[in-house]
Amino acid sequence: MDIQYYLQQLVNGICLGGMYALMSVGYSLVYSIMSFSNFAHGGVIMVGAYVGFFALTALKVPFLVAFLLCGVGSGLLAIIIERLVYSPLRQRHAPSLYFIISAMGASIFLENFVIATIDGTPRNYPTLFSNSIKIGSLSLGLDSLLMIIVSAVSLLILMFIIQKTKIGLAIRACSYNEKAGTLMGINSSLVIFVVFMMGGILAGFAGMLYGMRFIVKPTIGQVTNKSFVAAVFGGLGSLPGAIIGSVLLGIMEIFVASINSNLRDLFVYALLIIVLIIKPSGLMGKVVEDKA
Amino acid sequence: MRKSVRKLMALALACLMVAGLLAGCGKKNETIKLGWMGSLTGDQAAYGTCESQTLKMLVEEKNAAGGILGKQIELICYDTKGDAQEAVNVAKRLCAQDKVCAIIGPNASGQCIAIQSVLDQYKISDLSTVATNEKVTVQDGKLKEYNFRVCFLDPQQGKIAGTFVYDELKFDKAAILYDINDDYAKGLKDNFIKVFTAKGGKVVAEEAYTGGDTDFTAQLTKIKEADPQIIFTPIFYQDFIMIHKQARTLGITLPMLGGDGCASEVLFDAADAVDGSYVINHVSLVDPAGDSFRQKYAEKWNGAKMELNGYMAHDAFLLWCAAVEKAGSDDAQAIAKAYCEVEVNGMAGKIKISAEDHNPVGKSGCVEQIDGKNKTYKFITYIAAD
Repeated sequence: MDIQYYLQQLVNGICLGGMYALMSVGYSLVYSIMSFSNFAHGGVIMVGAYVGFFALTALKVPFLVAFLLCGVGSGLLAIIIERLVYSPLRQRHAPSLYFIISAMGASIFLENFVIATIDGTPRNYPTLFSNSIKIGSLSLGLDSLLMIIVSAVSLLILMFIIQKTKIGLAIRACSYNEKAGTLMGINSSLVIFVVFMMGGILAGFAGMLYGMRFIVKPTIGQVTNKSFVAAVFGGLGSLPGAIIGSVLLGIMEIFVASINSNLRDLFVYALLIIVLIIKPSGLMGKVVEDKA
Repeated sequence: MRKSVRKLMALALACLMVAGLLAGCGKKNETIKLGWMGSLTGDQAAYGTCESQTLKMLVEEKNAAGGILGKQIELICYDTKGDAQEAVNVAKRLCAQDKVCAIIGPNASGQCIAIQSVLDQYKISDLSTVATNEKVTVQDGKLKEYNFRVCFLDPQQGKIAGTFVYDELKFDKAAILYDINDDYAKGLKDNFIKVFTAKGGKVVAEEAYTGGDTDFTAQLTKIKEADPQIIFTPIFYQDFIMIHKQARTLGITLPMLGGDGCASEVLFDAADAVDGSYVINHVSLVDPAGDSFRQKYAEKWNGAKMELNGYMAHDAFLLWCAAVEKAGSDDAQAIAKAYCEVEVNGMAGKIKISAEDHNPVGKSGCVEQIDGKNKTYKFITYIAAD
């Protein structure tokens, strides 16, 4: 076991973390505005993976077009879910527990909707990038590299929107205090619309990248459980927190798995419990009691 | 007035129901009912779909040729969703509600083991196609009266794998990557290690994962460090594909060896990644002897490709037909008894079920190499299973 081995495992961990990052940002975005965990996010990612698969195999469009289609498809789906499921609850000022239960319902609904309309058979993306890149003795797949690049670029764009644009200012204001923001003339419905759209687009990208690297099946939404843990670990509601939490979780998970692979999930969920007990605000989250 | 109308209606309904019951009784012996169960959805859907489609095709043929014992065969197929609990429900439905005379399937050991109590309760036999776990027919030294199979067993498959790697490939350093949650994978792994190390080989890395995991880079990096000559992967085809993809991106160019759970046409979706690896199978998928069978299947099912399960379902159906003819009736117990008395020539060789353990005797396994460029298999060798 030389240094190369550990470096390779580190690269593996960063690749895994990059994927978690793209997924966990969706959780954090919604949480920062609406203070609930949008568990339907996993379903949206799964649908994104299917959109990309059929765009590539049935429509036979080039990769970039399929990739954008994923973003559009999942973005639309996220908005539809918001309008159909959360909006009525919002208008009734329902407690956040209702949102969480509805979100879980939406997630299971999406899973079964795909099983009923397409089928449950796992599918494999056609090989797009079969090459791997070698840096010294380290290797990583082009798809993993692409995943990290896409994660980084889309997160940078997202941060830019949130920090530098007017709608970003409105989002930040609402995440600080939605009622006060509304009183100041911010259209909170529009803010929520934009937040779900951005989360959905990222989910679409994540879905396609996940499908390319791994597999497409109705239950892939469940992998987002780990990205949710990453979001909690980084601090729910904080975007930099979600990213740092994801990458750290990916690296830790890989190293735990390299010691004993049976411990990886045990470790991840133990971490979730420990974080919630010791530091519920995570690495960089805002201080709140309710981390549902 | 109103009350009496209601009474009249109730009476009429009751009469209808009784009539329905009687009508059901009358129809009972017109067809011979054969049940099939397996995964039509889920990870193993490709296998189950092929089995059920093959049986439908064969039953249609047989019926067109006059059926069996002068009666038409009625095939009833149910989806187990690849789930043992669902398999039990389905078995109950076939036995209690549909009253089949025998069941063929399901296509995984876990499900076959789970349905034993139902079979015993209704005294209806199950003839499994590809359930290779030892416990399917014999558990704790006790023979299961109504469980049969037409395939070889995990210990035999582990032995074939070990013999192939050491004697044919002449490799003495192997790594193993398997699903620790799966009986099938564990059975193959244990028997591979036993045979391979007894011959003088060394297992340099033994890595596990839990079913449902999709990231294998940590384990693969560890395996790469151990520097084996081949990776033995006794798992199912989806994981087999994912492991290959990730291994190739990590710069691991080693061949892998999978069991019969890996042999699937789906492998060619990732043809570049799986190129050069080996799979153990019950029958050669490229054997010219199967050409007409494959062609018939493709014509019937829109150009669908024949999976291994089709061959095994074919053999199971042949054996069932022979047993029904031997029994001379569709009596479930007579058929179960006849399974051990008949002998047929199937696609995967001669099948004679032993009365001692309900397993076929004298089977051999075939090893094929995946040719990714031409999207086909290359036959390598046959290795005796016994």
